[in-house]
Amino acid sequence: MKISVWGNELSAWIARAQLASYGNTVFIESGESEPVASQLRSEPGLLGALQNATLHERLIVDTGAAINAEVHWLSMAPDESDAALELVGRIAKNTQGPLLVVNQSNFGVGMCDRMQALLQSELQQVVYLPDLLQAGQAMQQFVNPEALLIGTDNPTAQARLIALLRPFHLGQRTIQQMSCREAEFVKYAITGLLALRLGYINEMAGLCDQLNLDMDAIRRGMSTDKRIGTHYLQPSCGFGGLQFTQYLKGLAELLSGRQGSVLIDTVLAQNEVNKEWPFRTLWQHYNCDLRGRKVAIWGAAFKAGVADIDNAPALRVIDALLAQGAEICVHDPEAMQALSERYAGVSGIALATNAYEACTGAVAMLLLTDWPEYGSPDFPRLKQTMNQPLIIDGRNLYDPQRVQQEGFIYYTRGRNCLSQDPS
Amino acid sequence: MSHAWNKLQASAERLRGVHLRDLLQSEQRFEKLSFNAAHLLLDLSRQRIDEQVFAELLELANERQLDKAIKSLLRGEIVNPTENRPALHSALRMPAGTELIVDKANLVDGVQATLERMTDFVDKIHAGQWRGYSGRAISEVVNIGVGGSDLGPLMVCEALHEFKPQAADGVNIHFVSSMDGSQLSNLLLELNPETTLFVLSSKSFGTLDTLANAATAIDWLVERSGLNRELLIQQHFIGVTASPEKAIAWGIAEDSILKFWDWTGGRYSLWSGIGLPIALTIGMQGFRDLLAGAHAMDSHFAQASYEENLPILLALMGIWNINFQDIHAHAILPYDGRLAHLPAYLEQLEMESNGKSVKHDGELSDQRTCPILWGEIGPNAQHAFYQLLHQGTEPVMSDFIVPARRYEGRAAGLLEQHQLALANCLAQARVLALGDAALKDDSERPPWQRYAGNQPSSVILMETLNPASLGSLIALYEHKVYVQAVIWGINPFDQWGVELGKKVANDLIEALRQPVSGSYDQATDGLLAAIQQLQEEN
Repeated sequence: MKISVWGNELSAWIARAQLASYGNTVFIESGESEPVASQLRSEPGLLGALQNATLHERLIVDTGAAINAEVHWLSMAPDESDAALELVGRIAKNTQGPLLVVNQSNFGVGMCDRMQALLQSELQQVVYLPDLLQAGQAMQQFVNPEALLIGTDNPTAQARLIALLRPFHLGQRTIQQMSCREAEFVKYAITGLLALRLGYINEMAGLCDQLNLDMDAIRRGMSTDKRIGTHYLQPSCGFGGLQFTQYLKGLAELLSGRQGSVLIDTVLAQNEVNKEWPFRTLWQHYNCDLRGRKVAIWGAAFKAGVADIDNAPALRVIDALLAQGAEICVHDPEAMQALSERYAGVSGIALATNAYEACTGAVAMLLLTDWPEYGSPDFPRLKQTMNQPLIIDGRNLYDPQRVQQEGFIYYTRGRNCLSQDPS
Repeated sequence: MSHAWNKLQASAERLRGVHLRDLLQSEQRFEKLSFNAAHLLLDLSRQRIDEQVFAELLELANERQLDKAIKSLLRGEIVNPTENRPALHSALRMPAGTELIVDKANLVDGVQATLERMTDFVDKIHAGQWRGYSGRAISEVVNIGVGGSDLGPLMVCEALHEFKPQAADGVNIHFVSSMDGSQLSNLLLELNPETTLFVLSSKSFGTLDTLANAATAIDWLVERSGLNRELLIQQHFIGVTASPEKAIAWGIAEDSILKFWDWTGGRYSLWSGIGLPIALTIGMQGFRDLLAGAHAMDSHFAQASYEENLPILLALMGIWNINFQDIHAHAILPYDGRLAHLPAYLEQLEMESNGKSVKHDGELSDQRTCPILWGEIGPNAQHAFYQLLHQGTEPVMSDFIVPARRYEGRAAGLLEQHQLALANCLAQARVLALGDAALKDDSERPPWQRYAGNQPSSVILMETLNPASLGSLIALYEHKVYVQAVIWGINPFDQWGVELGKKVANDLIEALRQPVSGSYDQATDGLLAAIQQLQEEN
């Protein structure tokens, strides 16, 4: 099959890599056959697959061929909706015969209908395929989806998409068909519920600290209820990520605009407060004076496995520390490039290639991303390196008793009852 | 009496019995008596004057050597002799890079340095990086101040609220002034101490009202946080004062002080660090626009000839009305709800400045000086005290203040409401001047439906209400006050009348704790005893 993939989102590059890996010929209109942004380049497995496809001429940059393909896959950024409409118009003008436009972009509800209106005949159809990929595991999730959600009212279009994706479901996965508008909305609904859970559990963690309870015990107790389950119950210093936040903001706008509900607005606002929990803890520990104090940060990516720092808690923490005159040294296994771009020319922040180096002379270490390599550090070495043995753990990564036995003052979300009084 | 004064008295005699409706018949009256400068149009055609009076008033200004007096003011000479200092609010609005040398120092440098520090504060608060004791960002700012440290910022914040930039979205400003704690006690019920910052504004840093409110605020912070007073003051207080050493002694961090100077009078201080709540509301750019608007009026005041100088003309109309028309009530009537606090602001500016009866030479003035000012949003006042203006026995002069354009790009209904306000403004000015003659139908009516008219008024038309035009409007009144003071020969920049009350109150605080009968006058002794009895009963 000849497929053109449009856009520069993670899902666009994953589609290019995997559709080409499975034998399709994939066209790119212009530019490079690899993404430029570091957070895309570091997606596990992506670059190798793209290079391999290019080598075997299944991934081709070709303006003419791109517009003439029979399938067009759109994974464009939310602010590119005008460009997307213009593109679909151009494709429609150029194509007489059958056409399948697979839209994965987050343009809000109703955009597919507007695209469909630009097409020429019944044989030309827009379908919506919600982008359910998670950064860090996207290659795997694309080839092995748990289910297929397909937005279309047209049986022919549905059959064509199922055929196109056959290598990835082999007829064995649940297929949920719905209208384009419903499919466009479904990811908003999913994202909203996940954010509510995360927001809720963080509020519970705060309350546990006030009531002197161990949040971990409460969480384990909650998970025994089947209606609740175990996912998305780990307290943390807030959620981030570009796409997750974009969907949430979109949903918040719909909710407040259409029915005056501030539910998701509140979750978003509270999340920003949550992101600063490590800063507040440090601020209180040092009696509101961080001027000139050296602070180490472990982890800046918004979650482990990605190089992306968009809306990451680390950004709010770093900005707050800089505003208070602290000296920061950050380590992250993947996000260094993104960090150096964002803080280019800013004084008071340094980047370290080694996690222990980041802690040299520090009066505190703030753990903000749960990278596996931070899971079992050499505590004695860490203690020796630091000026004050203080760990503020935004990801509940360590066992409080163990860390304190190692001689550290330890703060973590929802488990302060297990911390000995530093005094 | 001076030559011009005598002439004006003769003119007053000559015009006795001449009604405004007749004066309004004279040719090209509006063209001759309306004036434009610095974003404002001043219409004086409804004042009870003719061309001769206009010329005689200018002669009076000339006779009093107004040009010299204006130069003295703006150059920083001692214009406040009882306190031996200049009054340099105009210096606070001079642009960066300009120069005003007083006592061998360029004042503009200090002014700009304070503006820079103010910018740092505003940026930090708007960015959510001014942190309270728990580390949460400050979102509520409470201005504690009274008089000039309250009325000016409050008035401007209310007037320009819609110019709030996006950066200021997360920050709410509150004002607390009353000594008895009424406003503060209510406000504290709603606020979160973690996110509340107090701006303690006091020129002397000794104002009892303000320090009493500040003490209550600190108690609240201590009680709610469990932390010590020193730490809480450092994180939760900004001091704006001309006595930084007192603010530091009180516990405010040196980095958290905005300094101004003793040459800025309290009621002229909104242009200084006292304007911090304004800058927090409309952003630094908005604040600088406000200063630029006032500076435009300063330049006009310094340069324009008497016959087209807005502050001078507005002042002369007041002189004519007070000293030659025997009018001693002055209504301030803004036809724009955003200017709701302008009357209270001008009450202080005019009455605290010119409510004086002793002249520079120590002699009692034999002329009337500042009238009683009061006011209200015009359309609301129409349903309150306009009855007295139309059919009472008191002659009253009025200032109508209204923008020509408002609600641009907003809903049609709102545009319509502005037209309605404009129509009412024009109608009231017309009816007050003309009386019955404003009615097209002149059929017989009973006496209680008749309108005498002949109440003079000025109209100040702004193109729109914005930071620049408001700055210009306030500076217009400041300079008007000065011109009147020069003509009356009084000092507009001291306020000894206010000082006496403060002293006696300090005395009476002791007396309330432990009354000793026979210490005061009979009335005070009697009330002290009654209060003591009522407090003991509880």
